[in-house]
Amino acid sequence: MFTYLLRRSLIGLITLLLITFVIFGLIRNMPGTPLTIALAEVDPSRQISEEDMKRMERAYGLDKPFPVAYVHWLGNLARFDLGRSISRKQPVTRLIGERIGPTMLLSVTSLGLAYLLSVPLGLYSTARSGKPDERAMSTFLYMLYALPSFVAALLLLVLFAVKLNATAFELPLFGMVGDNHQSLSTWGKMCDVGRHMILPVFCYTYGSLAYFSRFVKSNMQEVVRQDYMRTAKAKGMGPFRVLVHHGFRNTLIPFVTLLGLTLPALLSGSVLLEQIFTWPGMGRLFFESITERDYPTIMGLVLMFSVLTLLGQLLADILYAVVDPRVSYS
Amino acid sequence: MSKNKQNNNEPSPPPASRGFWAEAWLRYRRRKLAMAALLFVVFLSLVAIFSPAIVGTKPIVCKYKGRIYFPAMSYFKAGWENPVFYRDKFRKRFPKNITQKDPESWAVWPLVFQDPYRRVRDGEWKDQPGNPTGAAGKPNRYNLMGTNQAGVDVFAQMVHGTRIALMVGFVATGIAGMIGIVVGSLAGYFGGWVDMFLSRLIEVVMCIPALVLILALLAILESPTIWHLMAVLGATGWTGIARLTRGEFLKLRQLEFTTAARALGGGHMRIMFRHILPNSLAPVLVPITFGIAAAILIESGLSFLGFGPPPPSASWGTLLNAGRSNLQMWWLIVFPGMAIFLTVLAYNLVGEGIQESTDPRLREAGK
Repeated sequence: MFTYLLRRSLIGLITLLLITFVIFGLIRNMPGTPLTIALAEVDPSRQISEEDMKRMERAYGLDKPFPVAYVHWLGNLARFDLGRSISRKQPVTRLIGERIGPTMLLSVTSLGLAYLLSVPLGLYSTARSGKPDERAMSTFLYMLYALPSFVAALLLLVLFAVKLNATAFELPLFGMVGDNHQSLSTWGKMCDVGRHMILPVFCYTYGSLAYFSRFVKSNMQEVVRQDYMRTAKAKGMGPFRVLVHHGFRNTLIPFVTLLGLTLPALLSGSVLLEQIFTWPGMGRLFFESITERDYPTIMGLVLMFSVLTLLGQLLADILYAVVDPRVSYS
Repeated sequence: MSKNKQNNNEPSPPPASRGFWAEAWLRYRRRKLAMAALLFVVFLSLVAIFSPAIVGTKPIVCKYKGRIYFPAMSYFKAGWENPVFYRDKFRKRFPKNITQKDPESWAVWPLVFQDPYRRVRDGEWKDQPGNPTGAAGKPNRYNLMGTNQAGVDVFAQMVHGTRIALMVGFVATGIAGMIGIVVGSLAGYFGGWVDMFLSRLIEVVMCIPALVLILALLAILESPTIWHLMAVLGATGWTGIARLTRGEFLKLRQLEFTTAARALGGGHMRIMFRHILPNSLAPVLVPITFGIAAAILIESGLSFLGFGPPPPSASWGTLLNAGRSNLQMWWLIVFPGMAIFLTVLAYNLVGEGIQESTDPRLREAGK
């Protein structure tokens, strides 16, 4: 097990180096630097002189060719320093720290909801497999799965923010808090955030809910054909107990690996949804840093996403060995 | 063979059993939903091919000054418009000019007189009023799906957007499929160091957030066209296909027919692409179909963020983007949204249909 972990970590490290190097090269070769992009926004009368530009480039390390700058970045990384954002004049770690809360508020809620609802849904559709109500539900879930979340978000906005405007069902259009947030009591503040969360959480949840419940059902379908299920039924066990204790428990292995693979989704957020709802999360930070050519922030985020993706894969494999004694890596 | 010839008086041998693909097609046809989805995809392709004939402001066929022209073809490629219309200063207003400048002329017009790129003005076409702009552009008789902020007809943009959506799906996935199959088969067939290297490559491309890769590649191109976008989508979306192909090759290279092919002196290339690939095509076809749906989805998402094809070509995502800043104009969201949804759904259903009609394990379980 230990050698396996060591081997996987080493390979992971090489992969990480490759990824960050490729991304570093790509973003450094995008036209425009953080300085020119910021300049394009201020009025042309306040042009910076050539020497000042050179001096600023030197200060931010933009004058060096990108392989040199990459080694420099790696050196800082070894000292746990992700650098400072060029466009926001703040340490990247603090920027990420600010944005991680709102993203996790959405992702944890929606993943929790998806897991909680998908198991009963999946079990229900196994129990009533082939019946009209099950077919209707499965078809509906399948269609939900194909509905792009940004389309759903826009449709919901049209419905709740425009059509139901000025009714009891009106929901806020964007942002995380209302205009009067500061003046509210603690309870009022929570309600305010909650109201702003409803639409984004719904858009985050329905796709994974549809996917997970299909996942549960397809795994259950393999299990219900097993001999031990028939035996359990023959012993006179109730259908619920057969399904949950003898059936569902045996589908937990693939379910657990799914858990590992959703790890990066917890922190990465969704660029499109956060953009639509102007939610101050990681996805928006990522999008903004790309358009601002904010190299340190892009690199910090890419590093975080790739570490999480690789860790998630490793975690899935390890959990696999933990829950299934037939699998071992030694 | 020779045995058959000797026993000529025997009853003729039973007809050859159906091949794998004929069998799969038979199974596919039994699935109503998958068939409906396939028909929908065919319908979309027809809409895309005949888009200038369905809605446009240029005649499909016309006789002008004694010669036959096809001005509507210029919707496919701007350069295909005959220079005679520039010389005679048509300025893209065909109905009036064509009768004024040549009373003898005749023309066959599209079903709906609207243009995907510009606002149709008052008096351009018989008694059709000019397009309304802004929030007044609700769906009406002349603008079946309303108009956008600038008064351009949404129905026309939707019909001509079908072409972009389908093309993005096919071209991007075609590129992705080619890269994926080549990388996957090399990794799976040779194994060892080649596999180690290519698997890392797959992992790296998989781990890089698709958005960074796509935006960075598009930014490097400076003035990307829709074709660049397709190439970039293809260059980033091949990893799933490569992994699956690798898995299939790992399995199939152990089988007897591969050993037999090698014993007969088949070269690596021949064994890989003549013997193993055709046998692994069915499972590889499934992620390719899903890939088409994904490419359409990513393209509309990118257009929605404002990174789509440059302005004149309007894709479904561009319409959504316009609708986002004008939420009161619900028709800018509902129609393109439903189009994206139905297209993605149809491709998903087709993919699933292929999976269930070609996978022997699922076949046993099903009908």
